[in-house]
Amino acid sequence: MSTSTETLRRIQASAIAFADEFLEPIAADLDRTGNFPRALVAELARQQLLALPTVKDAGFTAHVETVQTLSKACPAVASILNNHATVAYAVFKWGSDAQKQAHADGLAQGEKLGAIALHEDGPALGHGPDALIGVLAGGKLTLNGKKTFVRNAGVADVYVGFASVGAKGSTSLAGFIAAASTAGISVGPAYMTMGLRGCPVADVIFKDVVLEAGLLGTAAEGADMLEELLSAHALGEAAQTTGIGKAAAIHASAAARTRIQFGHPIADLQAIQQLLAEITTDAHLAWLGVLHAAQLADDGFPFGIEAGMVKSFLGRFGQKLLIDAIQVEGGMGICETAPPHFKGTLPLARMFRDIAGTTLLDAPDDFPEALVAASF
Amino acid sequence: MNLITPEQAAIQQAAKDFTAKHIIPNAAEYDKSGEFHAFLLEEAKASKIFGMAIPKSLGGLEYSPLTQALVLEEWGYGCCGMATTLAANVLSMESVMIAGTDAQKQQFYTPMLNGKIGAFCLTEPTAGSDVGGGRTTAVKTADGYTIHGSKCWITNGGIADVFTVFAKTDPAAGMKGISAFILERGMAGFTVGDEENKLGLRSSNTVFLNLKDVKVPASALLGKEGDGMKIAMQTLDLARPAIAALAVGLAERALALCVAHINERFPAKPFPGQALQFKLADMRIQIDAARQVLHHMMALREAGKPFSQESAMSKTYATDVAMNVAATAMRLMGSAGYVSEVGKLMRDVKVMQIYEGTNQIQRLVVARAVLARPKAPAPAEKAMAK
Repeated sequence: MSTSTETLRRIQASAIAFADEFLEPIAADLDRTGNFPRALVAELARQQLLALPTVKDAGFTAHVETVQTLSKACPAVASILNNHATVAYAVFKWGSDAQKQAHADGLAQGEKLGAIALHEDGPALGHGPDALIGVLAGGKLTLNGKKTFVRNAGVADVYVGFASVGAKGSTSLAGFIAAASTAGISVGPAYMTMGLRGCPVADVIFKDVVLEAGLLGTAAEGADMLEELLSAHALGEAAQTTGIGKAAAIHASAAARTRIQFGHPIADLQAIQQLLAEITTDAHLAWLGVLHAAQLADDGFPFGIEAGMVKSFLGRFGQKLLIDAIQVEGGMGICETAPPHFKGTLPLARMFRDIAGTTLLDAPDDFPEALVAASF
Repeated sequence: MNLITPEQAAIQQAAKDFTAKHIIPNAAEYDKSGEFHAFLLEEAKASKIFGMAIPKSLGGLEYSPLTQALVLEEWGYGCCGMATTLAANVLSMESVMIAGTDAQKQQFYTPMLNGKIGAFCLTEPTAGSDVGGGRTTAVKTADGYTIHGSKCWITNGGIADVFTVFAKTDPAAGMKGISAFILERGMAGFTVGDEENKLGLRSSNTVFLNLKDVKVPASALLGKEGDGMKIAMQTLDLARPAIAALAVGLAERALALCVAHINERFPAKPFPGQALQFKLADMRIQIDAARQVLHHMMALREAGKPFSQESAMSKTYATDVAMNVAATAMRLMGSAGYVSEVGKLMRDVKVMQIYEGTNQIQRLVVARAVLARPKAPAPAEKAMAK
């Protein structure tokens, strides 16, 4: 699957128009209320932006481009989209005919929202006290346990996740797909997150959940599926990081040109120019890394190592984009709401909180560097 | 391990206990609401901790600079929003310490020994890093001065009883035309404007102040006319290490939370992998180095040696370290970090890289010292030149 320049331009234009019309006006409110913006999901579907990795002549390149564009205006909505698109991709790539029949169209058209449930408490998947354990018997998968920090939890219609199956000592990971309405699935209270508010985060609890035809792919390919989905998801998160960073650099540059100190705009100062140039450089180079990995994915090549490199790079430089952008704006940079005498918007405080949510490790010992190092 | 006296250790322990009892349990709630933590002034009243920098002869605790740092580190560990109220109070009183008469010290410090606090009012909409860019004026009258203008980003501004306010007595003279005054809450024309809704230090009170033809007596002038810039700079030299101390405390907290999470997540393993171990070691190294830069600076102060450059270094290094440690803790903890109080630490320390002189202004101070040319060539160089 790959994107023609023409198609990419068209998708870029839709994403920009969507961000301008629907996201810019609501980003600050969404951050304040945290209310899940269901209507926007429907609108994203109308614009055909919901499941780009599964669309012929679109793919990951178009998806990360869209995620970056949306993140410039409202990273929370980009988070909802990226999570959903990862689920759509999982169904598209590994779903059986019946599973595709049941979910693919709904996911593409926004009738169903997807959530990818990857994390667990404990040192590794399958090892915590509440690990999600699956039992495979006669084509049925029975699930008990908990997935933590699931984005889109509670508002999703479909969950894709992984459970540990098999006897102790020879467990493997099995992918599954489950309708949120399945008996035994419940959602814990929403977590209060630092940023990306509007994209709900909660635990999903599985109690004697029986999936008749819920196994995704085969039990043997679960680990590879997990790695590919984590990589795909990480690429979208990286596009969120670069989008936030680029938007922040533009805002901070404009602020520096109008802020007069010592008789001149502070944009004339080398120290300020250097901060702005570094933000722009780091965001740009990271974005090239995202694009390259997305292109590999679209061309059917493995892209996990390249995605790992991007994640490693942004682990070091991602948060710095906003640490430095706020530094340029000084006191105005830390305003959550613009003071009455100020004309314009002050989004950097929100962006600082949002970007932190896009550069996290999945678990304390999950270093993308390990994946990169193992590639030699 | 710090080489402190038994008396300092006792004061440190008292601050630790106070933090554990009053600050940590309340920090999250006040951070969320952004309401000023008024209860803290009441709780701190008995210990006179808000008068820790005031001489004993005036009824204060007269803690040494290092002892003050030890207290502020503990408060910073608990909540930098709450600790900023204490640090800004110290900031406000330093100007009076530098230039005040005995009567002015009495006037300024007495409220602080009775649960009241002070505010330092330098910044204006047009004067942030450029301190000389202010437009607030003080015009001499028959029996004093009339002050007109506005101040912004004033910590404690909405709740303080006494204020040090900087205004231009000679606007044409630029920075040399600035003078410092003592004002009191409730003076006619001196009103509190909007409160800022901030990313971090949310429960610390930060306001806009309006000065509309405020009449003050001649006795309100601190030092001489034109001394304002000098007083402000000396005050900031004295006060910046307070921010360094809060940052050291905040960084300690971030590391403690990160370690607690990792231990909880790997209950069976004595040590996590090297990648994590080394990151945690770097955090430890940076925090201890930041603390030593701070304590060295305080030692210089106590020894009566120059410390302006060291003051700038301590504030910059400690807040940059704290930002790095908090952000690293958040990333290592993953989603658990994102919903934890580490987020608050990151938000708090971001403000600290900016206030009391941005870290860029501090670097200008340090660079000036680094680049200072020797007045006369050293003898060896002279010989080489021949």
